[in-house]
This record gives sequence, C-alpha cells and structure tokens, in this order.
Amino acid sequence: MENKIDQTLDCKGLSCPMPMMKLAKAMKGLKSGEILEMIGTDPGTKSDLPRWCEKSGNEMLEKGELDGGIFRFLIKKK
Amino acid sequence: MSEKTKEPGVLGNLFKTFFAKHWPVWVGAIVLGTLNILLFAIKSPWGASGGINNWGENVFKLIGIFGLENATPTSTSLYGMLCVFLIIGSFIGALLSKEFALRIPPKGELIKGFIGGGMMALGATFGIGCSIGSFFSGMPALSGGAIIFTIGLFIGTVLALKYLMWEMEKFPNFSSGKSYNFLSGTGKSGSWQIYLGWIVLIVTFIIAYQYSGGNKIMAWFIIIGMFMGLISQRSRFCIVKAFRDPFMTGEADGSVGVMAGLVISVFGFTAIKYFGIGVGDIAVRAREMTWVFPHFFFRAAIGGFVFGLGMTIAGGCAVGTLWRVGEGQVKLWASALGFILISPISKLYIVPPIVNSLPQSLDFKNYLPDYLGYPGAFGFVLFIILVWYVFVKWNEKTGRFSAF
Repeated sequence: MENKIDQTLDCKGLSCPMPMMKLAKAMKGLKSGEILEMIGTDPGTKSDLPRWCEKSGNEMLEKGELDGGIFRFLIKKK
Repeated sequence: MSEKTKEPGVLGNLFKTFFAKHWPVWVGAIVLGTLNILLFAIKSPWGASGGINNWGENVFKLIGIFGLENATPTSTSLYGMLCVFLIIGSFIGALLSKEFALRIPPKGELIKGFIGGGMMALGATFGIGCSIGSFFSGMPALSGGAIIFTIGLFIGTVLALKYLMWEMEKFPNFSSGKSYNFLSGTGKSGSWQIYLGWIVLIVTFIIAYQYSGGNKIMAWFIIIGMFMGLISQRSRFCIVKAFRDPFMTGEADGSVGVMAGLVISVFGFTAIKYFGIGVGDIAVRAREMTWVFPHFFFRAAIGGFVFGLGMTIAGGCAVGTLWRVGEGQVKLWASALGFILISPISKLYIVPPIVNSLPQSLDFKNYLPDYLGYPGAFGFVLFIILVWYVFVKWNEKTGRFSAF
C-alpha cells in the first residue's frame, strides 16, 4: 500500500546539522499520524535519522536510496 | 528479480563489517583515541590546526605575500601531511562504502562554510590549538588551559546553534535553493568507487613506504593520518556533534562517543607523561609539557569561544571539516578554504596585537599535575568527563535543554 505523503522536505545538498534541524522543525508542524517525506544527500542522515526516530518515538516507515546518491525517508509522526 | 544474490564469503563479510554501515561513534572514537596515543608515543599527539596553518603558509608562499618564504613545505611537515592523509583516508572510506559524491550546497551554505572556517582559524590561533589540539588531545594531556578552552568551545557552540535556529526561522531561504550532486556511487554503476578506493589505499602505503627510508616518523604519520580519516568518516566522528546535539535534538550518542575516546587517551597520555615514555633526546619535563600550551587563561577562553562559534556555523570541527572534504561535501571545502586562508593572517596580524594587550601571568603553570599530582589530575579530568556524561544522559531523557 502506498503511504499518503502530507509534506515533502527537500534537504538535498545540505550537510549536518541543517537536515536534522529542518526535519525536527517540519515534524513539529505536523499532526499525529501525518507522514513526512524527506530527501537529502548527506550520508550522516542515514544513521542520524533512524536514531532520532527511535528516541523521539516517531515511526520510520521507509528508507531507501534513489538514483544519483539521494536518500529518501518516510516518517510518520507519533 | 532474476538476479541471484550471492552469499558473501569470509572476506566479503569482513569488508561489509567495515563499509556497509556506519560505525557507532564510540567505536570510532576509541580507535581514534588509541591512534592518538600511538602518535604521542612516536612523536607528539594529534592536532589539526597546525597542519592546516602549514597549508595556508604554503599558499601565501606560492603567491609571494606576507613574507612566508621560510614556511616548511607541506611534504616535510609532519602535521601538514597528517592532515593531507586524513582527507585521503576519508576519501578512501567514502569510496569503499560508496558514499562519495560531490555535494554542492545552496550558496548561503557555502558562505556559512567559509565564514565558519575563518572563525575556526581565528579561534585556533588564539587558543593555540583547535577542537583536537586543545580539546581531544589537550584534555588527556592534563592541560589546565584545555579545560578553559573546552568551556569556551561549549559556550560558543550553544550560541552559534541559537543563531542557526534563528536563521532557519527568519531566513529559511538562506539554506535552501539550487544544489547539485555529482559522481555518486548508487547502485551497480557506482562500483568504480570501490575499485578507486583500493587504488588510493595502495598508493597511500606506497607513499608511506617511500618516506620510511629517510623519515620514519613521517611514514607513520601518513599511515596513522590515513586511518584517522577513514575511521572518522565511517564513524562520523565530530566534535561539533558532541557539543551541539544535546542542545539540538537532545541526542547524546555523539557526545558519549567522544567521551569514550577521551577516556582512553587520558589513560594513555598520563602513562606516557608519568613514565616519560619516548623522552629520547628531550628532557622529561618537555615530555610532560607536550600539548600543554601557554594559553591559560584568556587565550584559551577566547580561542575556545570563537572556535565553537566557527565550527557550529561551518557544521564541522577541524577534523569534521577535513573528513567531510574527503567525502565530497563542498560546504566543508569552503570551510577548509576559510581555515587555510585566515589561519596565517590571524597568526601574523590579527591575534598578536590582541594577545599583547591581554593580562597574562607567565608565572602561572598550566600543567594540572603540578598542582594536583598525577593521581589528582588524572582523577580531575575523568571527573569532568563523568559530569559531562551525566548531564547529556539526563538531558537526553528529560529533554530539558534540547530545542526539539
């Protein structure tokens, strides 16, 4: 089943700490159960984001790599 | 899916252990701490700003300004080469894990990178050392000034984080806009990165071997520098992260990792100083005072503070900048450029007049064991680390000081 995406956050080209800061801010603006799609290119996000989800209680629905070295994550707000 | 997935062999699995996933920060930091002890045993501890300053001096020597004709060529500068191979090691790590790509950020980020790098250069000149020399090596060196530098670093980081949050709120466009990504290693077509990684690794060993005849210490610095870069890249070892994240997302993993590296180094450094290991033709006292810089009190405080501001704005400390350069993050190329260009200028023109006007006492000895004895100094530094640990763990749980 396709997840319905409520908001997309483009962090391509950004490096630490901007992706995590923008993500945390965007998540604040979402309602519980809504889904955020984040795309970025910083390899650090690959380990920072799952860890942050685990600690903050938000759910990581999908994580993957698109062509051209772009990472894509779907996160559901708790 | 017709493609058969082959089960990797013993060596394939070993390769995956190192390059399939990022390492926990504490694993990387413990290895880095151990390599730092090794550097000290061979010659002197890890540092980054000295090496970057050496590059800067050579740039200006090439241009022919500031009268730097006598600058040591990088090829014969131990720390200049350590930094070069730190970048190369990170490049190897990024290639072998197919994480290399030229990542060009929006313009505003490039500007922040350059300014942050310049501020780091200024801070490192004031503080006689950077996040490595006056913190990650300075604390284990039982230096009183390093503790002051660290407090400055901490305050600078928190203030600069406040600025970044304000900027994101008021001027979100500054950190967004057109970005580009080249040469990434996604999928099968990215396998060239792995081959190139092996080639660069082998070339590094050949270069180190070439030095081993005339300059044995340099050969070791090249190999250790390369591994330091590789390990930093794989574990994303970063001093900014350690200081900043508790106040940002509340995460403590980066901080605890750095602490693990510090604790190992405190043991190793104390033993080297206590027993006078590797004294050679220098006096025992000189060995004790290694990496204990004459920066107590104001130089260390100002240096730490300005460096903390710079590294947070740049998004990478001295080492964090170098290994991200090797990974292809162009924002940190701007930061490295700022560091390289501003460092000699700070040293020649900006810092000396200010330092001369600061009150300073040459009588004050900066070496903690002179006051507390070795057991006292050793315990004191470990106690500071323990307090820091309790704080970040408590904060992680309660979110008391984190912004998000």
